[in-house]
Amino acid sequence: MKNRLKVLRAERDWSQADLAQRLDVSRQTINALETGKYDPSLPLAFRIARLFGQPIEAIFQDEA
Amino acid sequence: MSPEMSNEPQVSKVSPRARRALILMIAGLPVGFFAGRWLLGLRRDGHWGGFDPSGGDMLAFLLAAFLVFAGLVTAGLASSRKALGRRINGDDVRAVTPATSAQARFYAGQGLVLVLAGAMLAAPPLAVALFDPLSPLLASAVMTGLIALFLFQTVGNITLWIRSDELMRRTMAETAAVSFVLFQGLLFLWAAGEKLALLPALTLWDAFNVTMIGYLAISMLIGWRRGFAD
Repeated sequence: MKNRLKVLRAERDWSQADLAQRLDVSRQTINALETGKYDPSLPLAFRIARLFGQPIEAIFQDEA
Repeated sequence: MSPEMSNEPQVSKVSPRARRALILMIAGLPVGFFAGRWLLGLRRDGHWGGFDPSGGDMLAFLLAAFLVFAGLVTAGLASSRKALGRRINGDDVRAVTPATSAQARFYAGQGLVLVLAGAMLAAPPLAVALFDPLSPLLASAVMTGLIALFLFQTVGNITLWIRSDELMRRTMAETAAVSFVLFQGLLFLWAAGEKLALLPALTLWDAFNVTMIGYLAISMLIGWRRGFAD
């Protein structure tokens, strides 16, 4: 699954650690999400969507 | 212009990570030397003259040394929130965020759990080596200590699971699943070969140490695939 997390984070000038703190996850989780090594759970995807004020499908796109 | 005359700042060719590894290797030399001297001294004093370590024992000692070392490094890192922050939050070159106290507690706990795992692994063959012959009373005392340590370490492991985020939990769950399927299959094949008198008999101690090394290797591989090394 592709996502726009890195772009959205860069627009706000946040580091991975900043975003991790806001989402209550580790910096490694943010890195794994951005590099496509991990797909988030539904609760985490909702938290990300709420934080950036966008619907989930505007942040995560199914590659199929 | 020659490099000597340049006003450009000289950039070290050795990365900070390589420099740290080099310092640790140099620091490990005297530790290894004195530990070896202590163990040889014990042998000279006749403490483990009759001890003939099996392959499983050697694996256990190797694994225990690795776990204790990794645990001490992790706990040492957790003692400085700035150093821990550099290690776990080091994506931003502008400013490294120091680790929070919750993160420091988590990594300190992880270090403790690793050290305890190493101590438990080394205890049985070490007891046999140091107290040769090992009386039933002493063996029972060691076993009681091991059960207490095991219960304490299990509580530590459960606490770490509760405090982990979802990526860490996923990595642990995947490691457990892959290990179970792989070693259940291997155990079956070995047991079948043993039953058919084609393979030598393994002791439970040997089998445990092989599965433990396999478990660690699988956890490192899965952690690497999930980006924990980045």
